[in-house]
Amino acid sequence: MSVRPDNRLDDGPMHQVTCAACSALVQVRKSSFEQTSIQWSDDALDTCVERRAASPRPGPNGETFSGCQSLRESIRGAVEHGDLPVQDDTPTPVNPEADTEASHA
Amino acid sequence: MSVADNEVRQIESDEAPTRFARGWHCLGLERDFADGKPHRITAFGVKLVVFAGEDGKVSVLDGYCRHMGGDLTQGTVKGNEIACPFHDWRWGGDGKCKAIPYARRVPLRARTQAWQTLVQDGLLFVWNDPEGNPPPEDVTIPKISGYDDPEYTDWVWYQTTIEGANCREIVDNVVDMAHFFYVHYSFPTFFKNIFEGHVATQFMTGTGREDIIRPQTEGSTAPKSTGNSSVASYHGPSFMIDDLTYHYEDAPDVPSVLINCHYPVDANTFVLQYGVIVKKLPGLDDAAAEAMARKMGDFIKIGFEQDVEIWKNKTRIDNPLLCEEDGPVYQLRRWYEQFYVDVADVAPEMTERFEFEIDTTRPNEAWRAEVEQNIADRADAAEKV
Ligand code: FES
Ligand SMILES: [Fe+2]
Repeated sequence: MSVRPDNRLDDGPMHQVTCAACSALVQVRKSSFEQTSIQWSDDALDTCVERRAASPRPGPNGETFSGCQSLRESIRGAVEHGDLPVQDDTPTPVNPEADTEASHA
Repeated sequence: MSVADNEVRQIESDEAPTRFARGWHCLGLERDFADGKPHRITAFGVKLVVFAGEDGKVSVLDGYCRHMGGDLTQGTVKGNEIACPFHDWRWGGDGKCKAIPYARRVPLRARTQAWQTLVQDGLLFVWNDPEGNPPPEDVTIPKISGYDDPEYTDWVWYQTTIEGANCREIVDNVVDMAHFFYVHYSFPTFFKNIFEGHVATQFMTGTGREDIIRPQTEGSTAPKSTGNSSVASYHGPSFMIDDLTYHYEDAPDVPSVLINCHYPVDANTFVLQYGVIVKKLPGLDDAAAEAMARKMGDFIKIGFEQDVEIWKNKTRIDNPLLCEEDGPVYQLRRWYEQFYVDVADVAPEMTERFEFEIDTTRPNEAWRAEVEQNIADRADAAEKV
């Protein structure tokens, strides 16, 4: 078995983003303003403050950490500053400015 | 048009793996094996005998007797041992030959393969490891608290054998958002996957498709469903727990737990099992609650049957052509590969955390239009009658 690369990465690769809260380095791809993929490394995960502070959610699958809010904000910031391209940069309903900036990235 | 524009995309399909995934595999409900008879299970390419001794302990041994190859699945449980139908050698759950009624003593090394088992929440699991190691301490199946809760029903359980497809097909489902609309008649409005370590999770919120008439709503006075929210995790290669809550208009939520699990029979056959427990609604007696769980299970069954139809006829594909609105199929397969290599060869990228949240805006627009069209078409057809 050998796993091939995701064909969608041909249209736009992952980009590095730094979490403003803990400096964790992750790889991110924005397909649209609402669609994000995040590739963590074990090092980045060890660095994440929210992850360390998180307690399990209720239920049998509660151990799964649902995600870091600070990183989410850092990703949003990277898009707004034009550091992180968005594949489909239709204007975001939240921040219309982000569109013009992102499209020049 | 350039040559590249004319180029046809070829489907690539590697052979299905010949080894079987390392991990806990659920064989079914413990109670179904507890009748004092030997049960034959074909899994991981071999025949297994599953039996409960007088002490109630369920054991799993290789199906063939080490004496002269008798079929232990046709034997008899005697005390806590399985007796071979050929010459009555007695095998214990630990794999050791305990007695040979006609012999002065048991020969040296009279030991067969015993599979490590786990009974939890009414389910029987076996540990498979091609390298022969016991399960690491952190590789466990979480407890399902609803099972011990008298407020919940017992398992309603289903089983089906799928021939002509490798079990990777069902694992792919966990990331395949769009198929939930087309195959399972649900309408996902939120969809996110997280893979980390040996766990792969799917967060999904959705509603039912209004154009699909469900058995439980037709003519019933039951409260109108407003949707469901689900957190479903594969704990290892084959056992998924779906923490599933149904929401209703003017009525309390109904929590339930859905299990979706499988074990491989051979490279191109697997046994799919699924089951459900539901929290009993206040005022429902046990029989009515069980009937409700059965109804839920039967609706889920329709979806799985349609999955099976797809799997039986589709081709294995290692280079799926994905659009942006598809889930992380490649990354899921990278996660899944950790169970098919030696522990020493598990690469960081197979277990490192990966998150993928789908933007459902565009799919939802398209699906809403399709649902409305179907409802309008049905109304037209009804008028013409
Ligand atoms: S082959 Fe099993 S007892 Fe002889
Ligand atoms: Fe499915």
